[in-house]
Amino acid sequence: MSLYTICEWLQNTEWGTGIRESTLLFPIIETSHVLGLALSVGTVAILDLRLLGLGLKREPVSQVMGQLLPWSLAGFAMMFITGILLFWSQALKAYDSVFFRIKMVMLILTAINALVFQFTVYRSMADWDQAPVTPFRARLTGAISLLLWIGVIAAGRTMAYRF
Amino acid sequence: MSLLPFFRWCDSTWLSVAIRDSRFLFPIIETFHLLGITLLLGTTIVLDLRLFNLTMRQQPVMRLAAQLAPWTTGSLLMVVASGVMLFLSEALKCYDSGPFQLKMLLLFLAITFQFTVFRRFTRSKRTEAAHVRSWIVGLLSLSLWFGVGLAGRAIGFF
Repeated sequence: MSLYTICEWLQNTEWGTGIRESTLLFPIIETSHVLGLALSVGTVAILDLRLLGLGLKREPVSQVMGQLLPWSLAGFAMMFITGILLFWSQALKAYDSVFFRIKMVMLILTAINALVFQFTVYRSMADWDQAPVTPFRARLTGAISLLLWIGVIAAGRTMAYRF
Repeated sequence: MSLLPFFRWCDSTWLSVAIRDSRFLFPIIETFHLLGITLLLGTTIVLDLRLFNLTMRQQPVMRLAAQLAPWTTGSLLMVVASGVMLFLSEALKCYDSGPFQLKMLLLFLAITFQFTVFRRFTRSKRTEAAHVRSWIVGLLSLSLWFGVGLAGRAIGFF
């Protein structure tokens, strides 16, 4: 079974058709998707600014991270669930959209970026936790994260308007 | 007096024509618009959550507000500058758009609120997180800025 047939089946299920054909459901789910996105990427962006040594410089990185990440994750959960529902209803269009593929690749890259951070610079965070100017690797993580998320948003936005 | 001649003029400036004629200018400018929105909403959300006492309780509101303010202002400038360019390129489409009118109204209210009530409140030593007043100010700030964003998103739907 190819990816295409799976997408075709998915969007023709009762749920997929229901969401697609409802005048209210689709905009409501998409609005929730954007709200989740704002909460998630908004808080991640502030953390990225701290990692870059550009924002909240007077606060320890561990504080900013520990306090903001739960909110980022909550927003991400909301974005993920609504994103799956949106995909469900438009699976074939997503399959055909190059922007959707770009978006998925960039999402995977953000996860890799976070994992690399976790297993490298994060381990020595105690040494630079209070420092206004963070080590190069931390700044790199922040910059990559910020760029990737903007890419995800831009790709998602372009995709949505072409539907 | 109708604003139509003004919108028509906006729609025909060299900048609007240049953006319309280019395949890449609109998406590039919009990416900056989205980056600005992300930072603007990010600083707003963090400070509002702090007002609700839901995050960064160890940092005084005033101190967070002072550190976040340049990012709020900077990102707002970026959003407005890129937004004006996007508007110029499709001014006539905006003229007919209900969501656009709503967005401009909310934007005016949000900016006014941000630089008067919100600024003074978050920079005051007497501000207590989770107080009724803090909830009102935070919820107003969230509603206004998210209202602007959602109305903006709706422009594309109608």
